[in-house]
Amino acid sequence: MNPIISESSSFSIFARPLSKKLQGFLFVLPCLLMLLLVLGFPVVTAIVNSFSPIWSEVKTFTAENYIKLLRDELFWNSLKVTFIFVVSTVFLHHVLGMIVAVALNAELRAKRFFRLIAILPWTVPDVISGLIWRFMYNPTSGIINYLLIRSGATEQYIEWLASPNLVLPSIIFADVWRGYPFVMIILLAGLQAIPREQYEAARVDGASRIQEFIHITIPNLMRIIIIALALDTIWQFRRFGLIYNMTLGGPGHTSEILSLYIYKHYFKYLNFEYASAMAVVMAVLMIIISLPYIRMITRKV
Amino acid sequence: MKRRSGYRIVPYFILIIVCLYNIVPFVWMFSTSLKTEKEAYKIPPTFLPKEPTLESYDQIIVWTSFPRYFLNSTIISLGTALLSTFIGALAGYGFSRFHFSGRATLIGFILASQMLPGVLLVGPYFKMLVKIGLYNTYPGLIFAFTTITLPFSTWMLKGFIDTVPEELDQAAKVDGCSTLGAFLRIILPVIAPGMVATMIFAFLLAWGDLLWVLVLTSGDAMATVTLGLSRLVTQFRIIWPQLMAGSVIATLPPLVLYMLLQNSLVKGLTAGAVKE
Amino acid sequence: MSFKTTKWTILTLLLASFLLVSTAAFAGTPKETSEEAPEYVELVFSDWHLAEPHWEKALKEAFVIFEREHPNIKIKLDVVSYGEKETKYTTEIEAGVGPDVFHLHAYSIKSFIEKGYVYDMTPFVKAEGPGFTDAWYSQTIELMKKDGKYFAMPGDFMAMVLYYNKNLYREAGLDPARPPKTWDEFLEYAKKLTRDRDGDGKIDTWGFGTIGAIDPGFELRFTPILFSHGGSYLSKDNKCSALNTSEAMEAMKFFNDLVTVHKVVPPGVTAQNPGTVRQQMANEQIAMLLGSGWTPPIVDNNNPDLNALDVLEAAAVPVKAGTSPKFSTTAWLSAWMISPNTKHPEEAWELVKFITSKSMEEKWFKDARVLSSRKDVSGEYDELLSDKFAKIIAAELDHAKFVPQLKEWPQIIEAINTAAQESFTGAKSPKRALEDAHDRINGILSVYRTSSDKCPGF
Repeated sequence: MNPIISESSSFSIFARPLSKKLQGFLFVLPCLLMLLLVLGFPVVTAIVNSFSPIWSEVKTFTAENYIKLLRDELFWNSLKVTFIFVVSTVFLHHVLGMIVAVALNAELRAKRFFRLIAILPWTVPDVISGLIWRFMYNPTSGIINYLLIRSGATEQYIEWLASPNLVLPSIIFADVWRGYPFVMIILLAGLQAIPREQYEAARVDGASRIQEFIHITIPNLMRIIIIALALDTIWQFRRFGLIYNMTLGGPGHTSEILSLYIYKHYFKYLNFEYASAMAVVMAVLMIIISLPYIRMITRKV
Repeated sequence: MKRRSGYRIVPYFILIIVCLYNIVPFVWMFSTSLKTEKEAYKIPPTFLPKEPTLESYDQIIVWTSFPRYFLNSTIISLGTALLSTFIGALAGYGFSRFHFSGRATLIGFILASQMLPGVLLVGPYFKMLVKIGLYNTYPGLIFAFTTITLPFSTWMLKGFIDTVPEELDQAAKVDGCSTLGAFLRIILPVIAPGMVATMIFAFLLAWGDLLWVLVLTSGDAMATVTLGLSRLVTQFRIIWPQLMAGSVIATLPPLVLYMLLQNSLVKGLTAGAVKE
Repeated sequence: MSFKTTKWTILTLLLASFLLVSTAAFAGTPKETSEEAPEYVELVFSDWHLAEPHWEKALKEAFVIFEREHPNIKIKLDVVSYGEKETKYTTEIEAGVGPDVFHLHAYSIKSFIEKGYVYDMTPFVKAEGPGFTDAWYSQTIELMKKDGKYFAMPGDFMAMVLYYNKNLYREAGLDPARPPKTWDEFLEYAKKLTRDRDGDGKIDTWGFGTIGAIDPGFELRFTPILFSHGGSYLSKDNKCSALNTSEAMEAMKFFNDLVTVHKVVPPGVTAQNPGTVRQQMANEQIAMLLGSGWTPPIVDNNNPDLNALDVLEAAAVPVKAGTSPKFSTTAWLSAWMISPNTKHPEEAWELVKFITSKSMEEKWFKDARVLSSRKDVSGEYDELLSDKFAKIIAAELDHAKFVPQLKEWPQIIEAINTAAQESFTGAKSPKRALEDAHDRINGILSVYRTSSDKCPGF
């Protein structure tokens, strides 16, 4: 890692004669180089691969992988699962994150304590949270069924991860546990930046808490909410370790998200070319989805 | 007045429920790690261990290479945190202070690089590392993780630097600092809380990754904590107490880091992400 | 004021960690410091067995012997987990590096050969003289070959058998000396074994445990049921799925009904993998499972209190009543391969030859209770033939058939694995799930068919 650092410090010698524009560019250069050097070759390779015939030694140009993709019902299924997973987790991260952030922003005793606990799950790597939850969901030895049976809510062993109807909600529930705290701190940071006077003025006018929330909190937070939504959506799209460790996509294909399906084709079936085509489609989709956000940010600067 | 005091309880009520949701998995992880293997599989399960034992910790720490994994994870995660934060701060400064042409395009490009799925990159990246002799080394992994965290770091720190009045750098330059000198001596200390926030973020990402480490390392000497844990979940047996003991150990550093730095984290996010 | 202290704490922390990392990153990176030419050759050896303590120990002992016999060779171990080995080897070999010698199981041998991820051993095998490969069961040697060339040497070779817990048999009023011979009997036993043993009104012990997760272990547990019902996966020419036969349908329905109709399998079957099922066996939560030589030591390891080596018994896989199919079970096979990237093929061959030698295979049996693909071990070694588990496994080798060998196999078996999950969970009927798998497999195999070849429908 040192070459890049030393390169950037060496240009201080020439700093004076350089134009301001060039100086700015030099500050950005290490970041750009890093991304280009590390990502450039893999991206080009992937695109070339995606247009090559499957399992062939010679690379000739063909679009057959993309055509096959259109007819692959498992690909469409994984898109659907990904969509459900991303939309519901992002939505729940934000709803829960907002509720907790607002609660934490109130005048509270033991605020530091609550804030500490509220962020805790974020520190657990997603691979590990997959393991913990998998064991908690274990029908016979897991804590969740134990609590439900003890409290009389059910008599059956509920098969959380083994039932096609319950598996996605169960995974989403586990993911929300780990994922909402980060959204929550961003929102909390946003809440704390809202000037108190706005609330005081509203209170003088006799506004209720709910009116305050709708007319002051939400408009002030709009920008930060959009940013959090965008970041969270991108990260959830890429999520891999959690489901890899919880179900590996099962039962059936009911929890097979796109990144997992690509992984299977690449590393288990060794269909590199086909997997690359899927990954290219995934990248394009992500860029399209996040375009409004990128434009919003770049327009503001 | 009555209505107001009724409202006061609501946050507590919400927070207590949320705390339970947050805490139960931790308790379960910790309690399982203290159980014997047999007790962990009992039907019905026990919530707290009947005969708590540290045997699993002993097994993990003494009989596996866990200490080594721990060291590797620490080096890789700290390296990623430092590198991506430093480069991110440089770029953030460049974007914040200098209005060169193509700036918006560059920011868009940096943000868009986040959209590439890791599964796609890892194979070719590996080939590249082998060619330049960085395969199975710390820098190889640190570079990989840095590219994942860099967009976020850059964007966060740009936001943070935007909040620092430009007069500060100008004053430094009047005192004879070069641009870089002003950045290093004046800006970096001021944006420390923002850097803490991005460092924690980068640290957590590198600490928790499995796929890249799996592919980019070989043998026990370079394995990380998450990889070591995933090897405990073999086809042959899953020893939940050991696995949970390992998870407790693996969760500890990020947890401690976060507890020590939580004030800076919130402060950093407030300034970096919120202010325009 | 407090901000200032935080600031300094942070800066100090930063500086300290930066120093730590930069020294560690460069000094600590394990590098082969080979400035002077070493007097020995280093071979990197990779095997999932290194991830399990009792196997690791056995292998390390073997290498001590090897290094003593070959003072010019040093072995470096590269541990990998079972589920991740293909991911690791694929990337490494594609990039021109990787272990010199590695261990795979039949599941992916074919695809590795087709991808060119293995070294052509033919010259070495030929140099050993005619008759060298005669010591092995011919069907195992055949699987190592393509176009007459040798790409691997066979390692472990074991038939799948039925294991049962004789204490639980007795408790349920069954005779441990009379294991089930037919699937009807098996079902009857399983129902009796599924009980509430601690008297709290809830069932806590089940007759049978099996794998329903997406897992390479699924193949070994489903195939015996399919074969013993007279079914098979693919048509003889490997161009079409054969799941449309009534035999396959019957096998699938039987497998499914154990879970959904008779409920003799513990809840959560679609999340069970070989490890968790053996754990259930170790905890006496199930009374029977399908396994092989590796099963008793691992169960014993999981719960020493059970005294598994005594309490467990092995028997042949049951067959369909009134039939005596030629093949009633499937076989596990592993293979030793040399990487095409190795710089020391001769030494790598020495290692492969050593590890597959008669004496080492005998040692491997003693240490791990795993049978060999060598006839002179699995068919002749006294200790093996007198072992209560191994002798049954060895006898069943005659009734064991391999699953089809083609590079698309991982994808094909996963389609069937998925079908089983879909029927277990009630998402589809067993028939519908099998039908969908049939169509999917025919789709995968379509590359082998010309437009005039048509596969029979369901």
